[in-house]
Amino acid sequence: MDTHEHIVRSYEEELSSLNNKIAKMGGLAEQVLGQSIDALEGRDPALAGMTIQQDEAIDELEKEIEEQAIVMIARRQPMAYDLRQIMAALRISTDLERIGDLGKNIAKRALAVVGEQQPKQLMLGLKHMGELALGQLKEVLDAYIERDADRALKVWYKDEEIDAMYNSLFRELLTYMMEDPRNIGLCTHLLFGAKNIERIGDHATNIAETVYFLVHGSAITDQRPKGDNTSSTPVALKRSAG
Amino acid sequence: MSLAIHTDVKEQAIAAATAEKLEEKVAVRRLDFYYGDYRALADNNFNLYKNTVTAFIGPSGCGKSTLLRILNRIYDLYPNQRAEGEVLIDGENILSPSQDVNLLRAKVGMVFQKPTPFPMTIYENIAFGIRLYEQLSKAELDARVEDSLRRGALWEEVKDKLDASGLSLSGGQQQRLCIARTVAIRPEVILLDEPCSALDPISTAKIEELIDVLKRDYTIAIVTHNMQQAARTSDYTAFMYLGELVEFDNTTQIFTNPRLERTQDYITGRFG
Repeated sequence: MDTHEHIVRSYEEELSSLNNKIAKMGGLAEQVLGQSIDALEGRDPALAGMTIQQDEAIDELEKEIEEQAIVMIARRQPMAYDLRQIMAALRISTDLERIGDLGKNIAKRALAVVGEQQPKQLMLGLKHMGELALGQLKEVLDAYIERDADRALKVWYKDEEIDAMYNSLFRELLTYMMEDPRNIGLCTHLLFGAKNIERIGDHATNIAETVYFLVHGSAITDQRPKGDNTSSTPVALKRSAG
Repeated sequence: MSLAIHTDVKEQAIAAATAEKLEEKVAVRRLDFYYGDYRALADNNFNLYKNTVTAFIGPSGCGKSTLLRILNRIYDLYPNQRAEGEVLIDGENILSPSQDVNLLRAKVGMVFQKPTPFPMTIYENIAFGIRLYEQLSKAELDARVEDSLRRGALWEEVKDKLDASGLSLSGGQQQRLCIARTVAIRPEVILLDEPCSALDPISTAKIEELIDVLKRDYTIAIVTHNMQQAARTSDYTAFMYLGELVEFDNTTQIFTNPRLERTQDYITGRFG
């Protein structure tokens, strides 16, 4: 968006550094998410353990970004686009930190279901949803690096697909649990895992809103797509005859 | 390619002001200004709204001080300088040859970058100007001097030494004395040409507070090199470049999301 650099080079360098930290944090978040999906599917305890540690690196970066942003606001009195860049970095780092936490949680659940018999259909559904979320995350982070509001807007609209997947997974898991109570333990973990992926999708959407604001200086005017209707999905209980 | 303010941008700014039900105090239309053959200002169009503060920002030589000096025709004191176009104050064109410039300069006061107290007592600094326009009794004059010094946020500091020389005050106090002197003759518009450039941060803050209070009664135009000061003190900001008024909008808009890249480059320090 900006074609000229700051006259004071150190200002330019500081903004660059903030940008790079977000990129690094984003890369780590992508890794955490990718690994946690693999861990859940492959139920690889080692992978799950690594993911939990990587989340700490994400948390550390969030602190650095916050400190740097505060110092820059105090010292530089940023205006207009510069101010939006700093605010965007603060907001995106919060979303990425949450994505890291949610990924870590998915990995923990992978550890919890080690040794369980996994239902293939459900696992495929979960993996597909996870890949969708990972795709959204990659795309929105690219949109941030490129300062491409149109790309961000596409991510914003696409969140409905993840919500739709979550709705159907939710129903499938309920059905599974109702069919055989021995599935309840596994399915509960998978349900939380699915919910975490859906939340990651929401955070990617938040980042998309921030990127749009960064570029245009105004918020997206459309209504945010909200496709998750699981909170109002009725559960039909079949009473046994005798 | 002209950097002149785009018509739609200007119309938006005026629409915004109208929406807020602001009254035009000063209207500048198609204003050009020449130093000899050199055109220093080109086709400036903007309004100063009643009881608001408008800041003029822009790089050195862009014409901000030149513009300010037209609003009270102080350029008239110098040969080979002329203004063309219209400057309407309350609907009257002050560039008209029939305009009484002394009355104009009572109506439109000016404070300069370097404090310029008269070499007189503090009391006389204020009373001198009043006496030029009005005949007041001693009691009335005393009251006016006190009122002016209060409006200049200086009364408490000088009430016990009104006979002291104006030059004995600190820089910040001298500047407030100049502001008090300006408001003493009951102006309607106050022009401030980098009023805090020569002052320390605390004096600057006192003057900024004063500007905030003064705008309740006066319409204020301030030229400043300090972007943050423009952002803090003004309601409207005009960005000037090479004699043209490039962008004019409410201050929040200019400093959070200016419409033109040239404006953004300047306020973020990307100029050059």
